[in-house]
Amino acid sequence: MPMRLLPRQTDSLGACQAARRVWLIAGAALALGGAATAAPAFDLGALTTLLGRVRSGEATFVETRRVEMLDRTLMSSGRLSFRAPDSFVRETLKPRHEKLAVDGNTLTMSLGERSRTMQLDASPEAAVIVEAVRGTLTGNRAALERLFEAMVTGTAERWTLELVPRDLRLRGQVQSVRLSGREATVREVQVLLADGDRSLMTIEPVAGPRTP
Amino acid sequence: MPRRPPIGRRAALTLALWLGALVAGLAIAWRAHYVADLSAFLPAAPTPEQAVLLDQLRNGITSRLLLVAIEGAPPGTDAAGAAAARADASRRLAAALRAGNLFASVANGENAAWADAGKFVFEHRYQLSPAVDPARFTSAGLRDAIDETVALLGTPAGSLLKPILFRDPTGETVRIAEALTPARAPKSEHGVWVARDAPRALLLATTRADGGDLDGQERALSAIQSTFDRIATPGLRLVVSGAGRFAVDSRERIKAEVERLAILGSVVVVALLLLAFASLRALLVALVPVATGVVAGIAAVSLVFGQVHGMTLGFGTTLIGEAVDYAIYFLIQARGGPGSSERWQRESWPTVRLGLFTSLIGFAALVFTGFPGLAQLGIFSIAGLAAAAATTRFVFPVIAPDGVPGAGFRRQLGRFMRAAAAALPRARWAVVVLAVLAVAALAASPSPWRGELSSLSPVAPADLAVDAALRADLGAADAGTLVAVSASSEQGALASAEAVGARLDRLVAAGALQGYDSPARLLPSAATQARRRDALPDASTLGSRLAEATADGPLPASRLAPFIADVAAARTQAPIERRDLAGTALGVGVDALLVSGAATRPWRALVNLQTKEGEPLDSERVRAAVADVPGARVVAVKAELDAIYARFLAAAEWQGALGAVAVLGLLALRLKSVSRLVAVALPVAAATLVVLAALTLAGTALGILHLVGLLLTVAIGSNYALFFDHLREQAEVDSDTLASLLLANLTTVASFALLATSHIPVLQAVGIVVAPGALLCLVFSAALLGRRGAVRGVGAHGKIAP
Repeated sequence: MPMRLLPRQTDSLGACQAARRVWLIAGAALALGGAATAAPAFDLGALTTLLGRVRSGEATFVETRRVEMLDRTLMSSGRLSFRAPDSFVRETLKPRHEKLAVDGNTLTMSLGERSRTMQLDASPEAAVIVEAVRGTLTGNRAALERLFEAMVTGTAERWTLELVPRDLRLRGQVQSVRLSGREATVREVQVLLADGDRSLMTIEPVAGPRTP
Repeated sequence: MPRRPPIGRRAALTLALWLGALVAGLAIAWRAHYVADLSAFLPAAPTPEQAVLLDQLRNGITSRLLLVAIEGAPPGTDAAGAAAARADASRRLAAALRAGNLFASVANGENAAWADAGKFVFEHRYQLSPAVDPARFTSAGLRDAIDETVALLGTPAGSLLKPILFRDPTGETVRIAEALTPARAPKSEHGVWVARDAPRALLLATTRADGGDLDGQERALSAIQSTFDRIATPGLRLVVSGAGRFAVDSRERIKAEVERLAILGSVVVVALLLLAFASLRALLVALVPVATGVVAGIAAVSLVFGQVHGMTLGFGTTLIGEAVDYAIYFLIQARGGPGSSERWQRESWPTVRLGLFTSLIGFAALVFTGFPGLAQLGIFSIAGLAAAAATTRFVFPVIAPDGVPGAGFRRQLGRFMRAAAAALPRARWAVVVLAVLAVAALAASPSPWRGELSSLSPVAPADLAVDAALRADLGAADAGTLVAVSASSEQGALASAEAVGARLDRLVAAGALQGYDSPARLLPSAATQARRRDALPDASTLGSRLAEATADGPLPASRLAPFIADVAAARTQAPIERRDLAGTALGVGVDALLVSGAATRPWRALVNLQTKEGEPLDSERVRAAVADVPGARVVAVKAELDAIYARFLAAAEWQGALGAVAVLGLLALRLKSVSRLVAVALPVAAATLVVLAALTLAGTALGILHLVGLLLTVAIGSNYALFFDHLREQAEVDSDTLASLLLANLTTVASFALLATSHIPVLQAVGIVVAPGALLCLVFSAALLGRRGAVRGVGAHGKIAP
């Protein structure tokens, strides 16, 4: 019985594909957060182990973006928080209030009174940026390696993680995400887009890192 | 051979009438329109909500949706390689299907496929954007909107925005896209849709052919298969589901099933007749009322419904089994030389006629179940049985006044029956015990009446499971809730949809609802479009406000001349009409949600509600929210379908009870004795209880069709009880009469047993009840109504037919 064949959102799925991309990425591009403590790290395994010990954290951020079409650099600032295994919130307070919350595969973006919920894996461009930050903060080595070619340089005291999307299609949009930090604290996230635009987010932990 | 009287005027008239009716019936049957679609399994709609629902199921665009999956892996590939191969096959399949003319749209998650739709949205953004109002174009509004757009730059989304930034700095395109974005979408991998929990790529194809156009659906299905065979890498598999798939498959299944049942039914009946008569002439004569009945049944259905469903023909095999009984009774019982057919008409016909009437009552219940398919079965059987009985009563005395020669194994059958009839009364306590046990079992078991509407569907559960899996992958898993608005015009429907949307927006903001799909988003009402157009300022006003709005901003006004030009152009742009969307993905979206009206049907807009994941929708809250929109109705799909079924089951229970009472009343009229009535009713009641208990203990979910089967058991089974009652009244019983009773029972049981083997649930449900029920009715009647002494006594010195 075709009782389940009533019109559903499937009908407009395709039509909205491009739309969703725009939105997902919009919010997702901004993601980041930090915290922590622990031992030295030279490779991805050691780094994710170190980061994985921190189960949650809160921080403030300041972001600058350089966009080729604009005359001046865009600045924004706000709060970040994360909680293992897969929750992450970025709340922009200036210049305007925006909120991006990721929980598992669900992405919610709020702007003023408007709010949209989407699924992260439906928009790989957004997933790339969200996962780069969330995967790093939570020390999720599997998620990082699934999506990226990852390279760690430096020491546990001062490390840099360079993430390049494996999927060539995605690399056509997001060239790389570079995170750097000290010990178990992410201090900086740099996103380089394929069209030359770039953003740099610096992170300052507020509450001390909490280890269970 | 006794001398046959010459055919008189009356006989000649009878023959002429019969032949004339037969020819007319054949002509109607020949010209009848035969169908095998699924809508016969859907009930007629008693409420407006259900009308919306059933209308959509039958004619909605969703009946044109095909879900396509590509599974498997080319040999020698790893998981990643296989995924890439499936994605590649998805792209090539989609491209090939889009190039053909069988599909209105083929979606597989590729952005490129929506370039046309994106262009349309961009060019009509000031008519489509929900954000366009006078406040939007004040200095403050412009500043706000530009800030919002600029916030997207420097992100991957920004790359998509940059080409249109100077023409659309307020981000109207983004706002439209945002409103159209579904909350649940398939996962995207390698640029195409894939399932989350299984290795498969997904596509969604909308056929140009209507859902009811099964030939068109079949062409679309074979185009998908042949295209896939041509482009796919070996090792990959194609899975296609959807309403069209089910309908085409069901048609094939029903066709095959009808042929199988007709052939087997004929073989069984012919075999039984040969067993009874061992004479070709007898066989041919016996088939005359059967053939007449079948022709009459088809002609009656065609006249009443304008079409004949394949399932009706499948059910017709039971008519063969029943109609042949009349021939058997006459041909066997009317043997015995001149005047015997008159004697049969006098002595046996009243009993046969009573049996006919009880059967007719049983089938009449089918007519009133509210399912067109079942109503057809009822009309078919009523017309067929009446015609077969009339042929036996009026035509047989002309063409076979002395019965027919040939005894076959009747003597043995008679002897067996006599022995059984003599032995069975000794087991009457066993019948009573069985009946009591059945009552106890029924009392102790949970109610077996838990059948669902879907149990009437001929679609196999495995196919439904595949369909459910693909729907889940595509984010359209559960039967949801929709708000339907009716209006007398397209503009009225769109305006109502907008009014509903405004109320739903409040629920979304309050967090009670995830979102909704409305046709008015893609095709706003003319009034809304005009209002948006009037909100656009002229070029000089916009220019000065823009200068204020961009002062100190990141986006200098000097670069926004294209924006001012576009707004100026939008002020004179012709409103979007439905035909402008035709052939685009947006048109498909509107067609899904806006149902054109007709003379007898209002225009209808459907607003699909998206619930929050894991939270049930508060239908009452939605109902209250849209209560003040005229013509708006909240339709909860699953609940409505369940309600439809529950309503029909309740109605069927009443009809069943009424039918049973009518049968009893008829018997009472004939028997004119309460004790005889009770005696006749007891074996039938016991048989019905035992069958019901057996099905319950076997764990069968019983539904309307089983109930219908029980009523038919009563209607048909009471014939046997009547005959035994009739025999009790007679001084002597010949073996031939007993043999005819057994034969008649066997043909009925055999034809319903064949139905019980059917893969069409509707037929199977009836067969599985009636076949054992009819057999038990005969056995129990023999046990409870047979007179040990009398039957044995007759047997000792009674006539044994030659």
